[in-house]
Amino acid sequence: MFNFKKPRHKLHISDENDLRLSDLKPGEKGRIVEIGGSENFRHRLIEMGLTRDAEIWVDKYAPLRDPMELIVKGYHLSLRGMDAQKIAVERIA
Amino acid sequence: MNFNIAVAGNPNCGKTTIFNALTGAKQRVGNWPGVTVEKKSGHYNHSDIKFDVIDLPGTYSLAAFSAEETIVRQYLENDEADVVVNIIDASNLERNLFLTTQLIELGKPLVLVLNMMDMADEKGLQIDVDTLATLLGAPVVPVVGRTGEGIDLLKEKILRVSTEISMKARLIDISYPRDIEIEIEKLHQLIQENDVTDKHSRWTSIKLLESDQQTRDEVRLHNNGADILDQAKVSINRIEGLFKDTGRAIISSARYGFIQGAMRECVVESLVGSVDYSRQIDRVLTNRWLGLPIFGLFMWLMFKLTYDIGSIPMDWIDSGLVALMNFISDLLPNSMFASLLVDGVIGGVGAIAVFLPNIFILFLIIAVLEDSGYMARVAFIMDRVMHNIGLHGKAFIPMIMGFGCNVPAIMGTRILESRRDRILTVLINPFMSCSARLPVYVLVAGAFFPDNAATVIFSMYILGIIAAIGSGKLFSRTILKGMSKPFVLELPPYQRPTLRSLILHTWERGYLFIQKMGTVILVGSVIIWVLGYFPREVELDRDYGSERTTLTQHHDTQLADLESKFKKSVDQDRSGYHSEMIAYESSSSYLELHEQFQLLQEELSSKKSKQLYSLRQQEIGDITEQKWIGRVGKIFEPIVRPLGFTWRESVALITGFVAKEIVVSTYGVLFGVGEDVDEGSQGVISGLRSSGMTPLVALSFLVFTLLYTPCLATVAAIKRETGTWAYTIFSVAYSLGLAYTLAFGVAYFGRMFNWLS
Repeated sequence: MFNFKKPRHKLHISDENDLRLSDLKPGEKGRIVEIGGSENFRHRLIEMGLTRDAEIWVDKYAPLRDPMELIVKGYHLSLRGMDAQKIAVERIA
Repeated sequence: MNFNIAVAGNPNCGKTTIFNALTGAKQRVGNWPGVTVEKKSGHYNHSDIKFDVIDLPGTYSLAAFSAEETIVRQYLENDEADVVVNIIDASNLERNLFLTTQLIELGKPLVLVLNMMDMADEKGLQIDVDTLATLLGAPVVPVVGRTGEGIDLLKEKILRVSTEISMKARLIDISYPRDIEIEIEKLHQLIQENDVTDKHSRWTSIKLLESDQQTRDEVRLHNNGADILDQAKVSINRIEGLFKDTGRAIISSARYGFIQGAMRECVVESLVGSVDYSRQIDRVLTNRWLGLPIFGLFMWLMFKLTYDIGSIPMDWIDSGLVALMNFISDLLPNSMFASLLVDGVIGGVGAIAVFLPNIFILFLIIAVLEDSGYMARVAFIMDRVMHNIGLHGKAFIPMIMGFGCNVPAIMGTRILESRRDRILTVLINPFMSCSARLPVYVLVAGAFFPDNAATVIFSMYILGIIAAIGSGKLFSRTILKGMSKPFVLELPPYQRPTLRSLILHTWERGYLFIQKMGTVILVGSVIIWVLGYFPREVELDRDYGSERTTLTQHHDTQLADLESKFKKSVDQDRSGYHSEMIAYESSSSYLELHEQFQLLQEELSSKKSKQLYSLRQQEIGDITEQKWIGRVGKIFEPIVRPLGFTWRESVALITGFVAKEIVVSTYGVLFGVGEDVDEGSQGVISGLRSSGMTPLVALSFLVFTLLYTPCLATVAAIKRETGTWAYTIFSVAYSLGLAYTLAFGVAYFGRMFNWLS
């Protein structure tokens, strides 16, 4: 599904049909597949516990629709939609 | 004998509460060298041993991602601390242990503190403390920081770890997957063989696998450093090939793997009876429909409380100052020293001192918002708006605070994590119209727009917001481009703030305000006093004394004329009066005449006092023009003439640099109604009107007042928070430029279309 051959570079999540964290609705749960974006951004998220295969739960969106509130590893975290779009997830029930 | 203790932990883990519980009120606040990150230190004694405690900034990691992380890492790597106390939020164990794994690898004697055990209970988490201690190889102390439960045990553990060798040697290695361990071992051996570092060679090896720039730079300096870096490159390639990710991501993920293993062994999660209270509260406070109105209500309450409660002690301070002024004036009548004390020092510093209650109340409310956890929700709710200007949601708080006073607001930018965001917020903050500008608006708008004063004042506030947003957009696209950090914000659980930490927070910030701003205001006030006081003897072109005599004589003649006319009319009238029933003095025709006479008499005397008053104003204006302050005004007059301003406006604006509200008292001096004027003073209003100022010039003056540098105290705060003169000078120059341009625009287009002339 993803091109892992060049791990040092920004991941190009090229598949048009894949699911992003920003696509999940409040109450939906996903498992992290891959994080794109800048190195600093990826590493920051991983350090905050958004590791590959981590379960992530969309709790709600802010009153002005952005950012979103997530629950990961038992704590609440907020990300902007534009950043959540860089996170590929698979939906879990 | 004394030991250095460093307190480390994630943001929101209750670190400061534990620090306060350990050290009590014996703490000092300063800055880490070179950066505007607060450095708190304190000490306590236990078993006759002194423990010096440093409260390190809260960080999620030691990756040197932010200024805070760099500080923590440097402090710990430099071996200044004897023992590291790692505060861990027990209710958020997994993520908090991420930092712990790095602290363990640094190899410092470590005491782990499981804070917020009560909240972990609420969440249904049962933690096996002994197993955790064994797995991590360090003593674990469960505490509840808010109540102080477990603090004595913590002090005991710190003492033992500091003094007993056996307690130090037990740190274990965080174990990584086999393939990573092989590479760590290769690097580890190479590093030990070459004596690169004696203490934390395993930490160095792991950091090399993470391609950590700081570690690479250090290793490169050593003999065979290049060899080690070559080996690191080979190792990184190997693990990156195996795990399909960057070295740093692989190590971080592996740390979480270790943590998950540990969690499985010592944490039991029972979902029965567990409630996530914060989530329930947030169902209302950050609700899609209710979130914004509730936030608006809180902001309104913040202002309401700040000004309403603050006005009570404000009046006390005010009357206290007046009493003090009177006392000094009585004690030292008419001396220069008395004038310096009363008009210079007390008048100037007192003008700021009356705002202290407001400032302390505002700081207290901010402390409540921060300690309770609501501040993070403010960032969550307002991020969409602030993101538009290229800022983080949290930047909304200092912007709102700016309506009160820019000085605490600029100091409040410390809540922002990125330096770029801090600088941007500092630069646009002065455009938020602070409360000191209000008296000027009320005075000028009241004098020239009596029917629309509220509209004019309100539009000043709106113009300020527009200037802030516009400048923010401009800066984030030009001078502060591309330095933005992604928005990754933790929403910590709500907590009831402790009184102790509220008082400490409020006092720390309030004290800085008193200390820094008091000195600046003091110096500025004395300078303005000197400029207005000297030279003592001035030569005037007009002889006001004789003009006054002539005026009085003229009036006396007129009054005498009037009286004789009245007598004549009465005599005439009486001769034609025939009734015997009523005395002439009670007749209606006499009363009518008398009434007319009285009216004319009153008219005459009020005309007299008005003319005398206006003469006196002209005299004082002339005198002030000859004083240094007037001469300075004259020098700058050509520059402000295109805006329609005279030397008076030029003086008022210059003195307004010290503090905006001084503009009002300067006009008081210029129009000779004394310094004790407030914005409602009729003397200044009539003085302004008769000075030739048109409503258009008044509007232009208001625009200038709104936009130019608020006060010296703000300049000092900008210097303090940005840490450089460059941004400070830029801020002053930019706001002066913007003020001049917009005020000129108002004057120019106004004249062109004949508005308000």
